[in-house]
Order: sequence, then C-alpha cells, then structure tokens
Amino acid sequence: MDSMGRFSVFSSGEGQPEENAGEPPGQPDLGRLLRRSAAGDEGAFGELYDAASARVHGLVRRVVRDPAQSEEVTQETFLEIWRQSARFDPRRGSALSWMLTIAHRKAVDRVRSAEAASRRDEAWHTTTSDVPHDTTAETVALRLDAERVRRALDTLTDTQRGALELAYLSGYTHTEVASMLDLPLGTAKTRIRDGLIRLRDTLGVTS
Amino acid sequence: MNDDIHALSGAYAVDALDDVERARFERHLASCPTCQTEVAGLREAAAELSSLSVQAPPSALRQRVLHDITTVRPLPPQLPGSSTPTMAPDAPSGTSRVRRPGGPPSGDASSSPRRWRLLVAAAAAAVLTIGGLAVWRSTSPAPPAESVASQVLEAPDASRLVKTLPGGARATIVRSPSLGKAVIVASGMPAPPAGRVYQLWLQEPSGRMAPAGFMPAAARTGEEQVALLNGNAATATGAGVTVEPVGGSAQPTSAPVMLFTFS
Repeated sequence: MDSMGRFSVFSSGEGQPEENAGEPPGQPDLGRLLRRSAAGDEGAFGELYDAASARVHGLVRRVVRDPAQSEEVTQETFLEIWRQSARFDPRRGSALSWMLTIAHRKAVDRVRSAEAASRRDEAWHTTTSDVPHDTTAETVALRLDAERVRRALDTLTDTQRGALELAYLSGYTHTEVASMLDLPLGTAKTRIRDGLIRLRDTLGVTS
Repeated sequence: MNDDIHALSGAYAVDALDDVERARFERHLASCPTCQTEVAGLREAAAELSSLSVQAPPSALRQRVLHDITTVRPLPPQLPGSSTPTMAPDAPSGTSRVRRPGGPPSGDASSSPRRWRLLVAAAAAAVLTIGGLAVWRSTSPAPPAESVASQVLEAPDASRLVKTLPGGARATIVRSPSLGKAVIVASGMPAPPAGRVYQLWLQEPSGRMAPAGFMPAAARTGEEQVALLNGNAATATGAGVTVEPVGGSAQPTSAPVMLFTFS
C-alpha cells in the first residue's frame, strides 16, 4: 500500500485527523476513525486502538480469563476490526458496540472450543472491574459509565441479572444458563432478553 | 423447536445460542426488520456492560496489532445488492487469524497448512475405526432449497449429531426423518486448499456414499456454513464430508474429514 494513495484521501480537507468538534476531550469519534481505517489509514487505526483497546481487552479478559489466550483474542479482534472496517454502518449502531460484538463473538468461540475448556475453571479473582483511580478525563468518563451501568443493573431482577451476566460476561449458552440457575428449560433466553430490554431502556441507549 | 423464534433475540445478541439455534435465528433475522432493530438495540445495551471490566492490554500488544494490519488490506465496502445484508459484523474468517511473533502458531489459523494437515490426519485416523465406506456411487443431486433447510432446522422431530475437530471446528447434522432431509451446520472450518471444496455425502442403506452437495464457500456473513444435504436423509444411514476438486467428484477420492452415523 503506497503512502501517497493512503493519505491523498485526507488532503481534500474533508477529514483532518482532529476529533469531532462536538465530542468531549478524550473521546475520539470511533466511527470516523473506523471510516479512515477503511481507507487504509494506519495512523487512524492506531488512534482507534488507543481509544478502544481497554474496553475490548477488558471484555475479552472477562470472558476468556486466561491472560495469554485473551491477548491472542484481542489481537485477532483488532485485525478483524481492521479488515471489516468498511462494513461498519453507523445507522445500525455505535462503533464501540460494533467492535465489542466482534470481540465478544471471538471470545465466546474461544472459551467454547475444546482446548480452552479446561482453563476457564479458574476463579475470576483478578478483578478488572475497578478502573485505576487516576484523573484523566477519559478515566473519569469510564468510571461514570461504570457507575451508570451498575445502577441500571440494580433495576433488573436477580434472575435477569444472573442470566445476563452468565451469558454475556461468562460466555455460557442460554441452555447452560438455565441449568446453572435451575430455571425451566427455555426460560433463560427470556430472562436474558427481558434483562437486556430493561438495561436498554434504563440506560436510554439507542441503536 | 417451534417456540417463538423472536424470543431468541436477546440470547442471540449476547452470543448465547448454540450453532444450530444461531443458524435458525439468522435465517429468521434476514427477513424480520423488527428483530433486526431489536438485536441492534440489545447489542448496544450489552456493550454497556463492558464498562464494568475495562482493562488495558499489555503495551506490547499495540505493536503486534499495528504490525498485523500492514499484512492485510481492509475488505472493500459491501455495495448495495452485492450480498445479503448482515446484522452482525462479518464473522471471523479464515484469513484473519493471527500468530504471535516469536511464538508457536495460535493453533487455529484457519487457512494454515498445518491446521489443515491436522484435520485430515485426525479424519484419517477416525476412518480406520469406522469402515464400511468401501462402495461409493454417483447420483445427481437436486438443488438445495433454502426453505427446506429452514424447515429442517425447525422440525419438531429433528435430531442432532455433533462432531468436533482439532482446531475447534464443529459440525452438526440436523436430520428430520419426517421431512426426509438433513442439514449440516458447520463453524470454524478451515478453508479448503486452493482448488478444493468440501463435498457432502449421504450413506445409503447399502453402504454406498451418494453425493449430497457441497459446503458453501467460506461464509462471509456469519461464521456458520449451512447446507442442505441432497438425497433421502430418512433412509440414509450416515453422512460424510470429504475434500474434493472444485466441481466435486462422483465418489469420494479422499479420506473423510467427518463422518456421522445415523442411529
């Protein structure tokens, strides 16, 4: 890929690397970085990585648990994000959600594969939920996000919350979740859906 | 199996369906705008949960990722009408697996010759224990029908046989005796070598293997590959998958990579 071709896209003045005017500091416009990545802009992809890698890797670590395998999955995820960047459609959802969907699917595939089966029994004790208490704008924003999500989770019933956490954060199928929570077969998927709908409405997220 | 398929939207949004359920739901999703909107919203909500588990990757990973992207170009945009629209980001494909520099291959580099050989070797070992495949026959298969495949996946009498292969590939045969049809749902299959395809076979009561169609080319719109097996699956005694030259063979010319025995 020659650099002339790569950067000529941005010489028109249409897309300078600065962040969107309306975005708060420390929150680059991920959708825009994806679009520039799709045009081969490796610098934009580096920015995208810096902005999103802690969310992506944190989710992967939570599902996969094994540190070495998590690193591999995160690496695969970002390569996939690069490859698929032109397929991101902002009308169908946020860029972060799109990237986390790729990461989650890869993480779940990894834990469900036979090689990983024996590694997930280790307890989840090295907690990742506490964001380090530094004072950058980005970190503060993350902590506020986490607070908001915790409060939203509190509005779910115990069963909804348990089913959702086992499915999304631990990568179990709804059938496995039903068995783990002693729910009648076929009802865990309803609890997962009800919990997500509650979460969606409480957080006011839109796609 | 005939429960309300809309109710699977939440489990789908958080990857909590098994391969067959996912294939069923994605068939439904393609034609259900309500579910498409719902899945998008539920995925946004699920993504919020990741704010509870933020963790920066080791700093060395950045350099590996930025090196990886110099080795492959982004896919072109999907132009209108060029393909079926996808709700999900395109599934991980065989060409995007990565290796850790200085380390062994990650073990699931789907297109790697190493993984390919592993699969064939395992299959060859498996065939030794099964036998009974000596007589093969040619039949002309009828074209597969999407709607029939959907019916099989939904059939109340459908039974499943699952095979897992080295490297994490999985295949499930869903067979409905009442419909007389079977569907194969595969995921994580390595891409066949250049110039080759996966050919499907149904084993007739006589023991002969009849051509039953092909696995579709590596899926771009979802990790599962779904194919209807041509032929009478009600009387068949088993099914198999072999690697054949593009265009297929009248009879298997290589050791099966998978064999299923119907009970």
